[in-house]
Amino acid sequence: MTDNAIRISDLTVRYGRTLAVDRAALSVDRGAVYALVGRNGAGKSSLVRCLLGQQKPQTGSVSLFGEDSWSRRTALMQRIGVVTEEADAPPEMSVAAIARFCSRLYDKWDQDSVEARLRTFGVPLPSRFGSLSKGQKKQVSLALALAISPELLVLDDPTLGLDVVARKSLFEEVITDLADRGTTIFITTHDLAGVETFADRVGMMENGKLVLDEDVDALKSRFRRIRFAQPVAIDTAVLRPTVMRSWGGGAEAIVSNYDDLAFERMRSASNIGAAEVEAMSLEEIFIAIAGGKS
Amino acid sequence: MKNALVIAAREFEEKRFIAYAAVAFAVLPFILGAIPGVNGKSPNDTIAMSSLIFATGFAVALAVMSGASFIGRDLSDGRMSFYFSRPVAPASIWFGKLMAGTLMVLGVFVLIIGPAWLVTGKAWKSFWGITLGQGIAIVLVVALSLFLIAHVIGTFARSRSALIAADFAAAVLCGVSVRYLVLPLIAGQALIIIKWLLISLGVALVLAILGGGAWQLERGRTDRKRHHLALSQFLWGTMALALLIAAGYVGWVVSAKPADITGEMVTLHSPGGPFLTVAGKARSRADYNAAWLMNTEDGRNIRIDSRSAWGMQYTRDGRSAFWPVVEGNLAELRRYTAGAAEPVDTGLNVWGGFIMISDDGSRIAVVDRGILSIHDVKQKRLLMSARVPQLRSARGCFLSPDRFRLYAQTDAGLQIFEFDMTSHSLVPTGEITGAPFLHLSLDPTASRMVVRAGRSSVVTLNDARTGAVIRTLASGPNLATSRYLRDGRIIVVDTPENAPVLHLFAADGSPIRDIALGRGNYTGFAGDDGTRVILMTSRPGTLVAINLDRGVIERQESGANEWIGSNWYEVRPPIGPLREVVYRDSEKHVVAWNPATGAKRKIA
Repeated sequence: MTDNAIRISDLTVRYGRTLAVDRAALSVDRGAVYALVGRNGAGKSSLVRCLLGQQKPQTGSVSLFGEDSWSRRTALMQRIGVVTEEADAPPEMSVAAIARFCSRLYDKWDQDSVEARLRTFGVPLPSRFGSLSKGQKKQVSLALALAISPELLVLDDPTLGLDVVARKSLFEEVITDLADRGTTIFITTHDLAGVETFADRVGMMENGKLVLDEDVDALKSRFRRIRFAQPVAIDTAVLRPTVMRSWGGGAEAIVSNYDDLAFERMRSASNIGAAEVEAMSLEEIFIAIAGGKS
Repeated sequence: MKNALVIAAREFEEKRFIAYAAVAFAVLPFILGAIPGVNGKSPNDTIAMSSLIFATGFAVALAVMSGASFIGRDLSDGRMSFYFSRPVAPASIWFGKLMAGTLMVLGVFVLIIGPAWLVTGKAWKSFWGITLGQGIAIVLVVALSLFLIAHVIGTFARSRSALIAADFAAAVLCGVSVRYLVLPLIAGQALIIIKWLLISLGVALVLAILGGGAWQLERGRTDRKRHHLALSQFLWGTMALALLIAAGYVGWVVSAKPADITGEMVTLHSPGGPFLTVAGKARSRADYNAAWLMNTEDGRNIRIDSRSAWGMQYTRDGRSAFWPVVEGNLAELRRYTAGAAEPVDTGLNVWGGFIMISDDGSRIAVVDRGILSIHDVKQKRLLMSARVPQLRSARGCFLSPDRFRLYAQTDAGLQIFEFDMTSHSLVPTGEITGAPFLHLSLDPTASRMVVRAGRSSVVTLNDARTGAVIRTLASGPNLATSRYLRDGRIIVVDTPENAPVLHLFAADGSPIRDIALGRGNYTGFAGDDGTRVILMTSRPGTLVAINLDRGVIERQESGANEWIGSNWYEVRPPIGPLREVVYRDSEKHVVAWNPATGAKRKIA
């Protein structure tokens, strides 16, 4: 049995002349939480479609639990819960009918959990799906995805349209709980602050390329914001600044290879003077990387 | 299968409002039947007819709308991922939705028509000349075909892909291919083959769409452009394969050889030349008819449209053959001259009418809808035309390249005109009044003619220009044949039951001798070679060669099941010498027989 829940190799997706995903490769261990971030149009949705076996890549492969996601999609979907970016259930159907329909397709189905979750978030079962708010639709999708106790939960921008309470519930209760129970979670999001607390690994896509794929802790440990009291010339052989700008009378640098010892050596050797070193949030790192590239 | 049923059930549940609408339409005919003034003489007829109209309209409209949306709408609205995020195979999605869509079309039809049929059963015997069962079958086949076609068009249109231009081109190509497959079969009058070919291609199209639908979901999944691409590839690939198979079959059908002709045949022989036209049904090819213009001298066969076989005409000199090539509502005359590499189009369109060709084939006269027109074949142009009386039948001959004489059989009798192209004049030169229909046989110079009325018992010699009677040649109730021979002499065959006799006359009508023929049912004239006259008898079929100089039956050829004649409109004897008489034996072989030597050979 493979240890990877997800393995993506050399994945390329094209739409005519447009390159949506460019030779992406990543893997997610079983039980891990992987957050994929990127601007709109970066290629996240194309990658997710390939991940779910809904789209055949031009090159490369995607395997879920060691099986090809394209050719083995039908069987794999018994083990995978999916919350899509846009609500895709038939709008004319009632929530109850949708749940009933889905229950007939899966080998295992927990109808009680579906009803309980929807009750919690005030989603009436007899309502037409099309009449629900965006947040309610997301809750329905999530309830359906969780009803099978999935081994892998794929969430494509799940917080889109959710209010603060629902978002907090999703991140702090649902995902944390699932992660604690060993469910592998693959999430694409813009809400970096939300995933920071539970994501084990983060990937960042830009213009179809996976420009970052790293453990969250390692990423956060190597990125620092350093504020200098006076203008400085950083020795780039020691510290690699992603962003460098003036700040007050001094300068501010965001470095991507921070190391305490190296920094102290550089500071004493270069007589830089006073400097303030700050840890950064995932969101700040994302902005720094995205801003630095653009 | 289970998931397909689950999806079908979901579709039904989602679209149950359609059933409510159908129930409303089922009630409406009864309301119409109850309204005075609307129901006419028979309320039952009103109920039956209105329910049929509502059911047909509803089913067809539903078929088109459902077909265009049952897959396409989910794709264009981005909702196909709902299915593909579940453990459902693409084929289950396709066949589940397809099952629901088609059953809904059938269901609404039955739902609307059912109550009316139960109540007014006797009013349903037939409509539009077909039985109720046939009518319902046609409506449902049309509705389900529209359902599938609407799905294809819906998938193509909703993808908003430039690929639709290629689809259009492929559809046109298929249409053109079908046309070119059918055209040679039309030429072969193969209506049964055409019917089954079109049914087969229709079935192939349905299978292509059914398979293509499953394939588009398998390959395209949630991407509407890939759906389009997959459906296009499958649909046109399958149709290309079906058309290739059909082309192979049609190719085999039309590759029939003269030896394949069996059963009923059309055969026309050129009495003054080497040509023979053979047409008939080809072996193992259902109702396909094939035809050839055969040159019995050099063995060359020219394939012709089987519809043209009856229209084949040979020139008096025997060197050229003319036949119509049918194309839509036009029929262009084509000419083949012995020894030429290929036939040539004359550029002369003839459809119906009477065609008369000059001795060497250089000019053609056509009488059609009261207009006589003269055409130059080589120049492909109309020389002149003139109005002539409305006629029932026409005969004629070119006296010279610039002079044409027309024998117009009208209701009033035979009217004779001469058409002079140098002076552009049409001159009535004579008439024979009162005769309902006349057999005419002119001498080689066209100065005199033997005339025998269809139902009269008199054969006369007349002036060919004025129609004036010169003398009576024979009379009696059993006159069978009368005509001028190549050498200018005249024969009249009288067939009283016990003593058939051939009367031989000189060119001016003076008697030469009578030749006793012996017992036999003499049915026709098969030719003459200057020395001999060949007559045909039936029961049994025999060719009888009579030596006119010696006044005896010189030779007989039995087994001549059917004599092969030609040039029905020609009024003068052939120019060239008679080579052989052609007949069909009891085994349908075409046999050429030389009356001078008795030698015979099988031609086809």
